[in-house]
Amino acid sequence: MRIDGCSDIEDPAPLAQQAAWQDVEPIAQDDGPSPICPIAYTDEYREMMGYLRAVMAAGEESARALALSGRVIQANPGHYTAWVYRKRLVEALASDIGAELDWVSALSAKHPKNYQLWHHREALVERLWPARAALALPEDQRLANPVLRRELQFVGSALDEDAKNFHAWSYRQWLVARYELWAQELAFVDTMISQDVRNNSAWNQRYFAVLRGRPATTQLDAALARAEVAYAVEHIQFAPNNDSPWAYVVGLLLRHAPAALHEELLPRIRALAADPGFAPAMSSTPFYWSALVDIHEQQARALPPAERAPLLDEARAICDRLATQVDITHNRYWRFRKTAVGA
Amino acid sequence: MEPTDPCSALLADKHVEFIKRLDKKHDELEYWMTEHLRVSGIYWGLVALFLLDKPAALDHQQIVTYILGCQNSDGGFGGHTNHDSHLLYTMSAVQVLLMLGALDQIDTKRVTDYVVGLQRDGMVSGDEWGEQDTRFAFIAVAILSQLGTLEQLDTQGIVDYVRSAMNYDGGFGSGPGGESHAAQVYTCLACLAILGQLHVVDRERLSGWLAERQLKCGGLNGRPQKLEDVCYSWWVLSSLEILGRVHWVDRQKLCGFILSAQDEERGGIADRPGDVPDVYHTCFGMAGLSLAGFKGYALKPVDPVYCMPKDIVERAGLGSWTDKVPESWRE
Repeated sequence: MRIDGCSDIEDPAPLAQQAAWQDVEPIAQDDGPSPICPIAYTDEYREMMGYLRAVMAAGEESARALALSGRVIQANPGHYTAWVYRKRLVEALASDIGAELDWVSALSAKHPKNYQLWHHREALVERLWPARAALALPEDQRLANPVLRRELQFVGSALDEDAKNFHAWSYRQWLVARYELWAQELAFVDTMISQDVRNNSAWNQRYFAVLRGRPATTQLDAALARAEVAYAVEHIQFAPNNDSPWAYVVGLLLRHAPAALHEELLPRIRALAADPGFAPAMSSTPFYWSALVDIHEQQARALPPAERAPLLDEARAICDRLATQVDITHNRYWRFRKTAVGA
Repeated sequence: MEPTDPCSALLADKHVEFIKRLDKKHDELEYWMTEHLRVSGIYWGLVALFLLDKPAALDHQQIVTYILGCQNSDGGFGGHTNHDSHLLYTMSAVQVLLMLGALDQIDTKRVTDYVVGLQRDGMVSGDEWGEQDTRFAFIAVAILSQLGTLEQLDTQGIVDYVRSAMNYDGGFGSGPGGESHAAQVYTCLACLAILGQLHVVDRERLSGWLAERQLKCGGLNGRPQKLEDVCYSWWVLSSLEILGRVHWVDRQKLCGFILSAQDEERGGIADRPGDVPDVYHTCFGMAGLSLAGFKGYALKPVDPVYCMPKDIVERAGLGSWTDKVPESWRE
């Protein structure tokens, strides 16, 4: 089991044959007094675990223990206790955090969805350059810092590998929020959306980047709302039957600029639906009609009760259309949605 | 009526054998790779067996002794003997003991203190290293509700954190800003259900979002534009059940999908048809079939908050979350 760049995992000889481990008596797997689900191991893993148990039981804090913990984690990155032991060793040995980050990075290529790797990374980055120190500098200087540059590059690479990696996006949000790297994020999001307009994670990140950590009750100014509507519609035009930009723009406006739903979004999508080049695609996508339901409801809310009926009737008629023609798969939902219009 | 296609039937006996085989030595690589979560593996296997109404297929006393052996000096449970404590394994341990009627064999105070000790600034971490995730909000609440010590947690802090994870599409992520994901939706809803705080949810938008998880093949995915996976049969369906909207998916098609992911030779259920089965997907596939009202076998009803048989949950006095569902939700 080899990982390039990890010098502590290079010796392939069994531990029992290595001079450096001669003084240790490995502890065999103890499945407890009542073994349940005893596990068959490959010989190599079995041997490593025996030695790991031995040094843990002895409370050993050494470079070889650190190396061994790394081998176990490399073989089985979900092994929680190996991680706990490693974290304690990193502390006790005052290990070079940069080197530890190198090791985590090398491992991450093989295990992009392991919770412990990402969380360990967070802890290391925070130690390498505490946020409190970072925030004393303006954002452009923060971005120039090698630690953060590396992290942005790392998480960018992880997303290049798998653009929907939940852990990677979560880590990126931690990085951007903690170090307040808001100014650069929208450009990154735009790049990801350009690469795959159907990437729901990227649209979710756009919301994150636009809101910049402000509360859910924040009201966006009209210019920003208009710009986001234009952005969303541009991408809807590219692929109308794509959930994400619709959910994004309707969700964003409902929360943060409700008036823009009928002032900005409605005319633009109506225009698109009237355009002969886009009419068939628009009229056949459930997301267009669903947006109209939301928009008409919001329009109605802005009117005195006595004047709401035409808009709500229109919304109900659209629910019928969705249930019977455009989105039959979810007809139960649309039949219910009709009863909830204007409630 | 005999089905001509074996995978339109639930291969109950094969699944029982599959789960029982977990108890034997195996050459399959998966088993040594999963030592660290053995406790959770037992929970998943037991749930499947209980729902199949074959609870005695595993030795209960052996299991209880083993689980108790996984408790550490800090009061929490590790994933296996001599493994460090984590909230995930503590949850599985408590659930297994509850299901086997052995909760009285642990010191409630020790476990409670362990869980409460993980709460900082309102939110609960998974362990002493501070990983935060809405999954842990649910787990802490679920553990203490089973122990009867929920009042020792700052539940307001937890509700605030869960609310902050609610997104523009009505769904929930792993934390504030995190993308909506069906598994996180389940944990947030289950947490809010136990605490009687479901009114904070945008019921219609979230139900619609969940209903959209069903794909043409009948299977469910976890977020838009992703692949279907049997485990979402649980995360999505339990969420819809809590919301009172499980009829918004085509349950028959979903059952067909789950059944098609069974392994006809080895037993067990995989993440999707043709893949290797594992006990995790067997558990959640079975729970999904139960929630979907599968008629081809007399599966036991499952509680959508605790993912344990309903009769056990009710006998333990934990079924009362249904009384706290918002009045306007009852139709």
